[in-house]
Amino acid sequence: MRRVLAAALVLAALPASALYSRTAQKEQVAKVSLKVGDTAPDFSLLSDEWKTVRLSDYKGKKNVLLAVYVLAFTGG
Amino acid sequence: MDSPAANAAFAKQINIKFPLLSDMNRKMLTAYGIVKAHDVQGETYEWAQRANIVIDKNGVVQHIEEGDSAVNPNNALSVCTDLHKKQAAK
Repeated sequence: MRRVLAAALVLAALPASALYSRTAQKEQVAKVSLKVGDTAPDFSLLSDEWKTVRLSDYKGKKNVLLAVYVLAFTGG
Repeated sequence: MDSPAANAAFAKQINIKFPLLSDMNRKMLTAYGIVKAHDVQGETYEWAQRANIVIDKNGVVQHIEEGDSAVNPNNALSVCTDLHKKQAAK
């Protein structure tokens, strides 16, 4: 477990942005769905320390556990 | 979306030692297929599912749990432990 990086994405759910049409959003959402055995798409996200974290930072170094968590402070 | 500042306050409150990441523009969530559309009373809303995803050192997805079962992280943690044991044995 020492070598496992646990990274949690804390996300709040918001209604779809008015900038996109409903149809465009649906198509975008339906397009991609990850499966076991797929190469995980790289990402670049800001941490709670305002540092950029990329999945590729850990390639060849650590296994990564992503826990997607909606709404911090809710205990859910 | 929770900002890095909100995450920092949450991280401090629950004293966690791993990074809390913000996907403010939902790029990662969309690429991973975690954002789902839901029809509620004639309107379509989108929000992220709970999900646990284990990615090995080579960048290959080894485990995915979505929805209610992802609330409990134990399955994902045991996948991580098994991966680590296998890699250590090589």
